[in-house]
Amino acid sequence: MPQNKGKGKNRKIGYIDFNLIFVVLLLLGFGLIMVYSTSSYSASMSSGSNNDPAFYLKKQVVATIFGLGAMVFMTFWPYRWWMNLATPAYFVAIGLIGLVLTPLGIEANGARRWLNLGVSLQPAEVAKLAMIIFLATIIVKMGDKIDTPRGFIFALASPGFVAALIYVITDNLSSAIIVMAIAFIMLFIASPQYKIFVYIVAGGAALVAIIVFLASKVFTGGGFRLARIRAWLSPEDYATGTGYQTLQALYAIGSGGTFGKGLGQSTQKLGFIPEAQNDMIFSIICEELGLFGGLCVLILFLLMLWRMLIIAINTKDMFGELLVVGVMSHIAVQVIFNVAVVTNIIPNTGISLPFISYGGSSVMFLLMEVGLVFSVGRSIKFETVE
Amino acid sequence: MADRRRSRNQINKPYNDKMEEKLVILFLAVVLAFVGLSVKLVSITRDNGEQYKKQVLSQQQYESTVIPFRRGDILDSMGNKLATSDKVYNLIIDSKAIMNDEENLEPTMVALRTSFLGFNENDVRNYIASNPTSQYYVSMKQLTYDQVAVYNDYVANAEDASHIKGIWFEEEYRRYYPNNELACDVIGFTGKDNVGNYGLEQYYNDTLNGVNGRSYGYLNDTETLERTTISPVDGYNLVTTIDGNIQQIVEKYLYQFNEEHKNAARTGNGARNVGAIIMDVNSGEILAMASYPNFNLNNPRDEQKLLGSSMVNEKGAIEYEAEVITQENIHELLNTDDATYQNLNYLWKNFCISTTYEPGSVAKPFTVATGLESGRMTGDEYYTCNGQLHVGDHDIKCHNYKKGGDGTLSVQESIEQSCNVALMLMGKQIGKSTFLEYQEKFNFGLKTNIDLYGESRTNTLVFNNQTMGDTELATSTFGQGYNVTMIQTIAAFASLINGGYYYEPHVVKQITASDGSIVENISPRVLKQTISATTSAKIIEYCNGVVVNGTGKTARPAGYAIGGKTGTAETIPRDKRNYVVSFMGYAPADNPQIAIYVVVDRPNATFQDDAKFATGIVRSILTEVLPYMNIYMTEELSEKEMQEIAELNISIKQAASEEEALEEGEGSEEDDGIIDAHGGDVTSSTEVTPEEMESDDVETAPLTGSVLNTDTGNAVKEDDSNAPE
Repeated sequence: MPQNKGKGKNRKIGYIDFNLIFVVLLLLGFGLIMVYSTSSYSASMSSGSNNDPAFYLKKQVVATIFGLGAMVFMTFWPYRWWMNLATPAYFVAIGLIGLVLTPLGIEANGARRWLNLGVSLQPAEVAKLAMIIFLATIIVKMGDKIDTPRGFIFALASPGFVAALIYVITDNLSSAIIVMAIAFIMLFIASPQYKIFVYIVAGGAALVAIIVFLASKVFTGGGFRLARIRAWLSPEDYATGTGYQTLQALYAIGSGGTFGKGLGQSTQKLGFIPEAQNDMIFSIICEELGLFGGLCVLILFLLMLWRMLIIAINTKDMFGELLVVGVMSHIAVQVIFNVAVVTNIIPNTGISLPFISYGGSSVMFLLMEVGLVFSVGRSIKFETVE
Repeated sequence: MADRRRSRNQINKPYNDKMEEKLVILFLAVVLAFVGLSVKLVSITRDNGEQYKKQVLSQQQYESTVIPFRRGDILDSMGNKLATSDKVYNLIIDSKAIMNDEENLEPTMVALRTSFLGFNENDVRNYIASNPTSQYYVSMKQLTYDQVAVYNDYVANAEDASHIKGIWFEEEYRRYYPNNELACDVIGFTGKDNVGNYGLEQYYNDTLNGVNGRSYGYLNDTETLERTTISPVDGYNLVTTIDGNIQQIVEKYLYQFNEEHKNAARTGNGARNVGAIIMDVNSGEILAMASYPNFNLNNPRDEQKLLGSSMVNEKGAIEYEAEVITQENIHELLNTDDATYQNLNYLWKNFCISTTYEPGSVAKPFTVATGLESGRMTGDEYYTCNGQLHVGDHDIKCHNYKKGGDGTLSVQESIEQSCNVALMLMGKQIGKSTFLEYQEKFNFGLKTNIDLYGESRTNTLVFNNQTMGDTELATSTFGQGYNVTMIQTIAAFASLINGGYYYEPHVVKQITASDGSIVENISPRVLKQTISATTSAKIIEYCNGVVVNGTGKTARPAGYAIGGKTGTAETIPRDKRNYVVSFMGYAPADNPQIAIYVVVDRPNATFQDDAKFATGIVRSILTEVLPYMNIYMTEELSEKEMQEIAELNISIKQAASEEEALEEGEGSEEDDGIIDAHGGDVTSSTEVTPEEMESDDVETAPLTGSVLNTDTGNAVKEDDSNAPE
């Protein structure tokens, strides 16, 4: 490959984005502190966690250490090599999702979303990484064909199939939406078009509006998703049922005030917000550290995305750029969705806050993605221009 | 170099310009979204912050647990526990913890089944099955420490200990009375939530109770959650004046009396009620106080204890024709809660302080004391009894009216023979206003303020200037027509024989804290002087005569000289020949240290008007109590008495000391020293008494004429001192 040849001959120091390293480590460390803060009380009260206050913290620390190891590996492994794995990765993702149906699947909190492979693993997290690599690869391979209707539809349909599997098999709408959103954004960046994307966004918005309207006015029954939409529209009316978690999260944010009650001093985590270390962790951050703490977290994420944007713009390789875009969009979509759920901007759906929420699979695969970004960053050369 | 880059761009970055532009658009969109989220966050905090803050505060259950205090003990005068509180444990089932893991259920059930006898496994299993998220279910109550220890041992040695889950023990205190019935009237019992009923438990309820501790979390000024434990403050202990041994002796003979007389003339107990009080005459300390029927303090609601008692009506009184509760009719009679409660209440009442009755002839020493102290009598008078006296519109009979009366009697003989006519004549001498004045001095009609719950008020049950006519005065001289309580009578009587000092009777002598430190010492309180020492000495002399020559012979215990007065009072309705018989006495005769009063309310006999029912009990009690109190025997023992004492296993203090005691003059100070409960007062009175008694003996010789002394005690004293010469 031409790139490799150039590397060997004219090697200069690869670009290392210390800002990005700093932000990632800061978020990870902060995340561990918050996991401990939110989970220690309920862990010490529950015999399911051996009454060990650090039960969740310990598990998260182990996952984080493995994740950091994987990140370092990904950083130094030439990212272009992953093109070879695009198709296998796609089918491995599908296979893992299918495995959930076998006895290897683990059911927790009423949903069957985990696999027991020695360690517990969420296939949806694997699928997100696989989809980023797969899409970047096929877009690069298709070249101009991406502009043809056939190419465009193929580029949307292949992740669409995986998203559908995630939704149908693991009953995990939020992960399905995230996979589709990542694919959509990657296509948006790769395609020279604007119109088609505007249409899709407009159409999607209309569809959402219709569903919301139907849920609130027409169907009084329906599954838990429709109930969640109704609870979203007026959480106070469902305070003891579907809207409970959302409402308690809002109480947490509101009661925190500007600077919060102090680290570790949340009262909402004492049983009012169930499993506060998971999806609702942002509300506890706001309660303990206030509006100030919440905004700081958002700014850190923005800084992280900014550093990734810089890498994406500076890379001269389309594949690398698309990989970075995929990771960026993954993190951005998840942060936006998570905070939107906690603040009741969108209906309650289980989306974790990247790097901060408790969850081993999530943090490990996110760190691998960050490793990919570093790997792409390393390919940027500072060259003395004349 | 430049070529290579271009070629790569051409291959891999066909839309370079557009892509960068789109990346910027994407980033701007993300920034926009973040700004939107931030705005929402700010608006939540700003618009709903205060409301949500209150909401959060209001839904906090400040997890707060009560740490119970320990109610204080009640001890007898030697520190033996009469009432105590033990720590006990309630077995609490936490279904949620058990059901966390299916494998917990069986090992936990096995552990409980093996450790606790009477563990209701079915109930608990059903409860867990139907309430899998419950965390608090009381399965067993009031387990002892030992029972819990069995469980703890089991868990410590169990192989599957890690699966024994969701079991914990809640601490609380249980009131326990180690001696069951002993001193039940005095102690009273404690119900739920440390509320005392009757006796000391109710009177000193606040002293015995402490303050609960608490462990809780709360939000401080900066809305920080803090946890705090406030330790409980345990209640104070009461050290009583009750001597457990004397109390036991008294109760033994009350019970024995009942055994001997029950179902004798009618169905039911040996008497409607038998009460006994022993009091230290020189301090007002109650050494024993009991009545029969009694009840078990550990099970006060035991209806079996009502067997043999007469039914109590709605007003809490027993009617003349009241039915007697028996095993056969108990369910029929106590068919309502009200009926049961009324009868139990009657049982729980302390007969010695709550029941009022006409004292009968035990009032006679008071009448004589009134006459002597007021100077209306000299003590040298003679009275003639023809069997009856016409007062107002009535002929009031003497007890041996049928034999034609007692003839001519000195004052002492009037007391010894308990002659009503002589007493009525004295009453005439004394006059209504003086009589009433002294009634009040002796505290009749007033509460003694003994520190026990439930003392009756008798202010409406005595005569006053308006209600007392000649007839009432006449009957009052021998104790009919007005009502008293036992405690009133014995407290007043103690003042007659201790030199005139009226002590407030009391049961508690010390209050101590849970750490043993003394909170309060309650010393004897002299409220007033009722009569002079001289009058007191005369009363002692007369009362000694009652036991030596008169109606009280049968009260004398083996080896001792005592004094006292019998009483036989007719109850209302008068024509039913129902009586309250009693004996009020003291020992030793020459140097009274204790007073004893036994009242038998309606003995179960065909002829109830016999003081022997009471004197018999007094004799039995004193036969054991006096040696126990290290009071030396002064009298010769007959062979029969020797045998009796040998049977009772009483060690005799007499052999060495009897003669000395007689020679040295009674109550040498060394002897007094043995009985530490009695203070210096005894010594002073012992010094006076012997001399006076001797002089009194001489004085019984008839002196000419009955002089009405208008002067006070001094004149009498001069007479006394002159007499021996």
